[in-house]
Formats: sequence, structure tokens, C-alpha cells
Amino acid sequence: MSQIPLQLENIRKTFQDGDKEVDIIKSLSFEAKKGELVAVVGPSGSGKSTFLSIAGALLSPDGGRVIVNGADIAQFSEKERADVRLRAIGFIFQSANLVPFLKVKDQLKMVKELATKWGREAKEEAQQLLQSVGLEHRMNHYPHQLSGGERQRVAIARAFMNDPDIILADEPTASLDGKRSKEIVELLANEAKDKNKAAIIVTHDEAVLPFCDRIYMMDNGRLILKEEMI
Amino acid sequence: MLTHSIKEICFFKLRYILIGFILFFVAALVFIINGLANGLAAENISSLKNMNAEAFYIAKDANNRIEQSRFSISDVEKISKDDRVEPLGLQMLSLKKSGSNQKVDVTIMAVHPKGFLMPEVTEGKSIATSKEPQLVVNNSIKDDGVKIGDELYEENSETTFTVVGFTEKETYSHTPVAFISLKSWEDMLGSQVKPYYNALVLKNDNQVVKSDVKGSLGSGVWVSTDDVIKGMPSHQAEQTSLNMMLIFLIIIAVFVLGAFFYIMTIQKMNQFGVLKAIGAKNGYLIGTTMLQVFFISVVSISVAVGFTKLMQMLLPSSMPFIFNGVLILTYAGILMVVSMLGALLSTVNIIKVDPLQAIGRVE
Ligand SMILES: Nc1ncnc2c1ncn2[C@@H]1O[C@H](COP(=O)(O)OP(=O)(O)OP(=O)(O)O)[C@@H](O)[C@H]1O
Ligand SMILES: [Mg+2]
Repeated sequence: MSQIPLQLENIRKTFQDGDKEVDIIKSLSFEAKKGELVAVVGPSGSGKSTFLSIAGALLSPDGGRVIVNGADIAQFSEKERADVRLRAIGFIFQSANLVPFLKVKDQLKMVKELATKWGREAKEEAQQLLQSVGLEHRMNHYPHQLSGGERQRVAIARAFMNDPDIILADEPTASLDGKRSKEIVELLANEAKDKNKAAIIVTHDEAVLPFCDRIYMMDNGRLILKEEMI
Repeated sequence: MLTHSIKEICFFKLRYILIGFILFFVAALVFIINGLANGLAAENISSLKNMNAEAFYIAKDANNRIEQSRFSISDVEKISKDDRVEPLGLQMLSLKKSGSNQKVDVTIMAVHPKGFLMPEVTEGKSIATSKEPQLVVNNSIKDDGVKIGDELYEENSETTFTVVGFTEKETYSHTPVAFISLKSWEDMLGSQVKPYYNALVLKNDNQVVKSDVKGSLGSGVWVSTDDVIKGMPSHQAEQTSLNMMLIFLIIIAVFVLGAFFYIMTIQKMNQFGVLKAIGAKNGYLIGTTMLQVFFISVVSISVAVGFTKLMQMLLPSSMPFIFNGVLILTYAGILMVVSMLGALLSTVNIIKVDPLQAIGRVE
């Protein structure tokens, strides 16, 4: 399979603001490579979350192509997009996005069951994932029994569970302090490299940028490459 | 989907137990009212219901009511002898237990002791054709302390009846029915008024017999047993008001449960948003919600059925309460549908949740 699971071409997204239309995203093009963690920064309201929603099949663009694993999903129906999200994309949101009544291991089990079947193999996978995020001893805890950082680790493990090629995270460290934030992003970067995923993280936090391979700036509806670390 | 719904119920026990309780109380109330309606109906009309009768010949102006119909004995005797049709005398009376001042209300039914209107005697013996006034009475009179061999005194005619036997499931207008012979009936009336019968009863539908009776006794009409039952004003009033209560209860249940499920899904909007964002489809989310409601309903309604059964066993036998399995199951089914419908209404919210809300939002 290609090394570029996600490709955005000439994306345009317009929102109605009062009675005038505002182009939040204009002719944006972008590519995400496997094994790479990309950061997207930019001022509040510049359209970072909007970009991530389009890349993550949550929102349809008003123009352009969104190519996920070779298929243009720009015009997919909601149901088809749900399937793309389930199988090709792993999400990590700001905070508390775990299901409150499921134990840590069942959080992973649920996404697996949504996609395929839960079996012995899947069970081992889940165990390995939880081990790699350092939570094997928290398998039987409920989300409310975990710290904020631990919860985000579970979210990371869950995002990887269906073995998607793309990992998207919108300010995953927003509710964590500096030290925890760095740990989480470092973990994300390592996992993306280890498992050869294309990962994109939207962030406000300058301190986490050193863990990223490329940094893009959202500016006037476009993504501009700011820095590339080799 | 299944384990998911069960885990949620186990985790949010209190919430689901609360809904379960509401449903249980509504269901139990529906079942108990239904049992009461059945019990009252039985007390009121069981004698007519259990009678071996197809139709009653009743005076034209009697509004289908046996008590208001009269045919003089001399007229009735003009009808050619036929064992498919029998006269019936009916009167509500207060009888005094001899040796005490206690009065018991009964409905006297005068029948041929060997005819088809005479019910089976379950205890003691049947009434004799002639001889002293005797009666066989419904066993519910035992609650008033009446035993076989007791004497019951009728004041107006100064007749003393001896209780010779008991029968069962013979009540009329909320009083036990006391069966006496036609001879005792004539003797009882004879002293005051011109003796009469209230109706002629036909055993099986038979046009020849019907027109025969009509020919010799022109002043009446044939009324089916069902219409006679419907014509009893107290029966209609009781059943209508109780059934009204049932219908209102069920309507209330729709709204209360609907509101409850609505609030519950509203509370879970965020969670639905996240689940949709990570790829769960509407079908899955609606499925889990409906499964939960299904579980809760099955458990609560079953417990309510059990509770009603228990009620029936604990209530004193004088309480008019009949557990009719078929009817209870029908109402259980209706309540099941009602709660599923209430839940279905709130699933509109699930469909409306936009998975986009999961992203770009800090709580
Ligand atoms: N559904 C919508 N309807 C109208 N306007 C919208 C909608 N969604 C987003 N916008 C607008 O688009 C702009 C970009 O929003 P977006 O959430 O992408 O910003 P952001 O870069 O993620 O900001 P932040 O850093 O604060 O999270 C904002 O001005 C917002 O008001
Ligand atoms: Mg944002």
C-alpha cells in the first residue's frame, strides 16, 4: 500500500457567518506520510479543527478531494464516512471521550467489535496496546478511576485498536499540565513510528512541537510548512 | 451490542432501577385495576354468564332488564309445555338470619329444581320440588356466617327458608344468588300480589320455540343473554369507569416513559457524538438503547405480573379480584409496546447527534 494514506487536494470549506459566507479553508492541499507525526498550529479560529474534521471524514468539504487510502471520500454519505472513520482513522479528542461505563479493556473491545469480531487475537492486540501506553495494570478500571493523562493514554490505545493508517488528534493535551502533555505527545510520536501510521496533531502547546516531524501553520485558510525536522 | 447495553445498565444502576420502578408501578396498577374490573364484573353478572341460557323473553317496556319485566303465572301457563324454555323469577331481597338480627342481601332466583337453570350444587343437597321452602345459595354467603341447615327469614311474606346446599360462581348485582323452587316462589309471592315470573329463558337458539312463546305471550321480546348483561346499568358504569382508568394510565405511561427516555438520551448526547465520531452507526446506538429499554421493560413488567398474582393470593376472598391470565398478558404486551414506543421517540435524538461535535470542543 502507498506511503501516503491521506491526501487533501484543493480543499475549500465555507461557513455561513450572519448573512455573509466566510471561506475558512481555501484551496488547501496536504499530504500525510506513514511513520510521521505532523503538528498543525495556528491562532484560535483559524480553522484547524475544521481541517482535521475534513481530513477525518467528519465533515464534507465544499470543494476539492479527500483521498483516504486511494479513495476520494469527499462526496461519501454519512454512513460510508462512518465506516471510513471506523476502519481507516483513529481519533483522539481533547478530553473525556471514553465511554463512562466501560472498563479500560472494554473500551478497546468495543471499537474492535464495531469493526469486526472480538477474538483471542484481538484480545492479545489490546493487551499489547495497553502495555505500550503503560496501562496494563489499569485494564479493569473505569474511566472515572483514571487520571487525565491515563485517560488520554487509553484514548491513544483505542485509536490504534482497529489498526487504522491515519491517527488524528485535536488538542489531545488541552486538559493536561506541561509534563503530562509532553509524555502524551512523545508516546503518540513513538507509536506512530513504531506502527507506521500517519499521525496529525493539532496543538496550541509549543512545548510538544519537538516531538513532531513537520510543523504546519494554519494561515488564511491554507497550511504552510513552518519547520521540518530531519 | 448486547454486552454493551448490559454493561451500561449495570454501571448506571440507579438510573435504570428508577425507570424500572416507574414501569413496575404503572404495570402493577394496570394489572390490579384489571383484576378489580374482572372481579366486579363477575360479582355483578357471573350468574347470567354461567347460566345455560341463549336468550330471555322479557316484557317490551323493561329496557332489557329482568327485574323490570313481569308475566303473570296464568299467562305463562298458557305456553305449551316444552323443556327447552323455562320460567325464571328474580327478586333482590334482604333475608334475616333466624336467631339474630343480621340481614344478608341476596338475589332470589326461582327455577325448576330439575331444569336447566338449576346450577350444580357443590356442597349439601339440591332443593326439593315441593315441601318446605328451601334454598341453595352461592358459597360467598359463608362470609356472612351462613351454614347448611341455617334458616333465613323473609319478612314481607313471612317465609322461612332452610339453606340446604351451596353452589359457586353464582352472583348477581354484587349479591349471592339464592335458588328456590318455583313452588316456593309462588308461595312467597302469593300472599301479597298476583304471582308472576320475570322472564322466560331459552336454552338453545330455536326459532320455533321463540315464535311459539311470542305467539302465546305477545307482550314481550326475545333478548340475547349478552344484551341482558349489557343492559345492567351498574355493570356498564363499573366497567366503563375502570376501563377509562386503564386507558388513562397507559396514556400517562407513554408520556412519563417517553419523557424519561428523552432525558436519558439528551444526557448521553456527548457520548453518542464521540461514539459516532469513532465510527459507530445510528443502527448500533439505537439498537443498544432499545435493547436496554427492552430488558428493563421485560423485568419490570414480569415482576409486576408476579406481584399481581401474589396480591390475588393475599387478598381476602371477599374482595372482588380476578387474575385473568389472558387479559393480564394482553395488558403486559400493550405496556411493552408502549415503553418501546416511548424509547423509539427519543431515538430521534440519537439520529440528530452530529459526530462533528466530538471534535474542536473543550469541556
Ligand atoms: N458549523 C459552523 N458554522 C459556522 N461557523 C463555523 C462552524 N464551525 C466552525 N466555524 C467557524 O470556523 C472558524 C474555524 O473554526 P475551528 O474550530 O476550525 O477553529 P480552530 O482553529 O480549531 O480554533 P481553536 O484553536 O480555538 O480550536 C471559526 O471562526 C468558527 O467560528
Ligand atoms: Mg479547534
